[in-house]
Amino acid sequence: MRLFVYFGIVAIVFSSCKKKATRWQSDWVLPILTDTLSLAHLYNDSTLSISGAQINIDLSRTLLDIGLSDIVKIPDTTISQQYQSNFTVSNVSPGFTFVNSVKTHALDLGDILLKKVRVQSGQIELKVYNPLNTAVLYQIELPGVSQNGQVFVQNYTVAAGTVQNPSIATETINLSGYEIDLSGQQGLEFNKIQSKLTLKTDPNGQTVSIFNNQVFKYEATFENLRFDYAKGYFGSTLLADQQQFTLPYLDKITGGSLSLPDLSLDVKIENGFKMALRAQIEQMNATNTQGQSISLNAPSIGPSMFLAPAVGSWNNLQPSSLLLHFDANNSNIKNYIENLGAYQNISYQLQPNPWGNTSAGHDEAFANSRLRLKVSAQMPMALNADALTLQDTFALDLSQDLNKTHVTGATLILDATNAFPVACDIVLYFMKDGQIMHTVVADAQLASAALGQIDPQDGLLKKKSKIKIVLPPELVADLQVLNQVAVGAAFATTDPTTGLAVQQAIQANAFLALQVQMQLQTQIRP
Amino acid sequence: MRCLFILFFVATQFAQAQQTIVLDTYGHYNSTGVRRQVADAFFYGGLIDSSQINQSLTKLSARNAFGLQMGFNAQWQTPWALSKDAKNWSSSYRWVLGAGIHQYGGIHFSKDLFGLVFQGGLPYMGDSLDISNLRVESTTFSKLGFGLVNNSTQSSFLIHFVAVHNHIAAALQKGTWLQYPASAQIDLTLQGEAQFSGASPAAYGVAFDLDYRFGSAENDEAPQQFQFQVQNFGIARSTQTTQYNLSGGFQYAGYSFAQWQQATVNELSDAFLDSLGYEKSAVSSWILLPAQFQLAKVINWESPQRLEAYYGAQFMLRQTYTPLIYAGAHYKVKKAWQTGLGMAYGGFGGLRVQAYSAFHFKRSQLLLRSDNIALQNGASLYLQFRCDF
Repeated sequence: MRLFVYFGIVAIVFSSCKKKATRWQSDWVLPILTDTLSLAHLYNDSTLSISGAQINIDLSRTLLDIGLSDIVKIPDTTISQQYQSNFTVSNVSPGFTFVNSVKTHALDLGDILLKKVRVQSGQIELKVYNPLNTAVLYQIELPGVSQNGQVFVQNYTVAAGTVQNPSIATETINLSGYEIDLSGQQGLEFNKIQSKLTLKTDPNGQTVSIFNNQVFKYEATFENLRFDYAKGYFGSTLLADQQQFTLPYLDKITGGSLSLPDLSLDVKIENGFKMALRAQIEQMNATNTQGQSISLNAPSIGPSMFLAPAVGSWNNLQPSSLLLHFDANNSNIKNYIENLGAYQNISYQLQPNPWGNTSAGHDEAFANSRLRLKVSAQMPMALNADALTLQDTFALDLSQDLNKTHVTGATLILDATNAFPVACDIVLYFMKDGQIMHTVVADAQLASAALGQIDPQDGLLKKKSKIKIVLPPELVADLQVLNQVAVGAAFATTDPTTGLAVQQAIQANAFLALQVQMQLQTQIRP
Repeated sequence: MRCLFILFFVATQFAQAQQTIVLDTYGHYNSTGVRRQVADAFFYGGLIDSSQINQSLTKLSARNAFGLQMGFNAQWQTPWALSKDAKNWSSSYRWVLGAGIHQYGGIHFSKDLFGLVFQGGLPYMGDSLDISNLRVESTTFSKLGFGLVNNSTQSSFLIHFVAVHNHIAAALQKGTWLQYPASAQIDLTLQGEAQFSGASPAAYGVAFDLDYRFGSAENDEAPQQFQFQVQNFGIARSTQTTQYNLSGGFQYAGYSFAQWQQATVNELSDAFLDSLGYEKSAVSSWILLPAQFQLAKVINWESPQRLEAYYGAQFMLRQTYTPLIYAGAHYKVKKAWQTGLGMAYGGFGGLRVQAYSAFHFKRSQLLLRSDNIALQNGASLYLQFRCDF
């Protein structure tokens, strides 16, 4: 018994001795980032061009590009034709034709009145029902639907069925390349499609009776129709919209100003449809991140503009166009852009056939008919930035277990070679749930190329910088609770002699080469 | 285990013939250069300060060793003879039962690797570090067996059933680390392989122990007895061994913005492993147990001489173990207390002082021994209790 007591005491003593963690300090340097930022990928893509030793902004963008299928649409539509005898017909012999009728269907296309279309893609699903107790031969003909002069005709032999459970035959047919005449029997109507149903009992079948409760029918469903040709009246439905969009990066600007050289902006509206078009830019304004708004003022903002129908057809189609020019002489375009409005607001109207059906149903559109809105701008790429501050916030998840191997101190080291004439001051804000807990300022500025010297190898003005961003131990200790980091970068095009912000042209082939290393003091706990 | 205890208890109550219990336990760790405080921090916890790391570095050579051995053995020499016929030679042999658990861990490493691990890469920017010839061996196993012991010579032979609880065998034949001061680019080359058998028990096998005593007869005027001892000589078969191979290298100078944006950390680390030729596979393997061979002079506890020399040599079937030799003087203070002092060299460390004391009681004896009483780069303790009844 005494032995057990001794063992018990020893066990308690040893179990109360909690082993401390083995640990030691070690210092590491890890390369994080090696990259060169340049504008090379923007050359020859309708954004930038090089002119001598200078970069020009030669922006060309298509903002709106819509075609025939966007304007003229036939929604998925089902037409149906059926036959039901009013009385019982007895002793119907095999091969007897008992229905041969034509039906005209009206398509509901709003104010669009179509005479003719050609299907680029889409299909028709046919579904045929036979309630008779012998096979029935169905012939479905769509007289206005043809391909290469051949009218759309489909024949089906549908097996015997019953009133309660009619036999059903289903088939889906691709309509690509088919022309659809929607002008009716006389050729004077619109949106009309005809169908003809012929029914014949099975020539090899039995003699049957047709009762008045037997319904013979078919359904034809047009699906996903897109056209490469349309003729008719395309309506005058007003396309009015107010669009709001945010320009990337500009919403990150939190302060400072930007001054640009004189620039011009062209907006070109193209009408590739053989119909008249009214276009109106009602208003255009922009609000920057400081809440300052500015409206674009120009003679072409506000009033309606009319575009004539395109001329020609198919391969020789000539769109009509309207060119709107904005420059310092006729607008406040420079101020508008220098306001750095991240939040853009534009109200516009587009209206086909503003005077109604003046073409008497002869609007036409072809496969290559487009309605386009193009923007182009030209200016030398130069800027005057004065403490222009961009700030962006990123999620941070660097939680570490202090009881395991963890970082006790860290320093970010940036080695940069800058060929842009812009200096940059970097500040990091470490936050918890949006509340700034630690602010870390880089120990030096990323210097502007204007402070450097010309590299004889490539003829570029460059400046090297080495920047350290020290994350103090108290910040590192808080890493497990910090969940956001905001990176603030203040840009300035400072004149090296005067110290004032001046306009600086960006030299051709300018780049920013960056190497980022992280120096870590770690406590290793195996 | 409970059945064994009951069997042992009953046997001790009713057996009239002589029987013996031998219990021994040991723990050694040592290094050719790493200071004891560094190893102690791993055993007992605590901070390894930079001065200890620096002092270790100054003592390390290009190739270094560190190792650890721990274990416990129990042996019951039963009263039951192989034959009751006194005329038969086999009557001088008794059955013996044994059990034990052992841990062997050894590592060979370069000075550069020690510095890199304990100081980090920063102090070695611009230096090409050689981390080749790294070898790590670790085996933990238990055994249970039976055999025979000779009553007069104490020679014995036991065969054991062995269960290996974990086994690690890793080797890095080639390894270099270079980090450029300007760009911090890391050039790493690795070529090696490792085997881990981690499930418990990871493997089963057989081993034998041999204790062979030889030399001049006891009735000589100055008898010289020697002992050739083999322990844990055997193999085990593992069907759940994970094999890792590395053969490649990479140059890492940081990723580009696009790479950071488009790839996940896992994808980037996978790319690292791919460039290092990392492969992982499940294999079956044979595990050679850390057998120990010892040839030593046996001290005659009954000798009338007060001063006597002792010496011996020992090696293990492990590449991380250097053959150990030792020698010293045995002094008989009095019949109940005999002691010894000597030197040892090899194993996992260099030259060190060893000492022991043995206490003889009426039916039992207690032996305490340390192979490193100055605690030079390690520590050592061996305890043995023997009871004859």
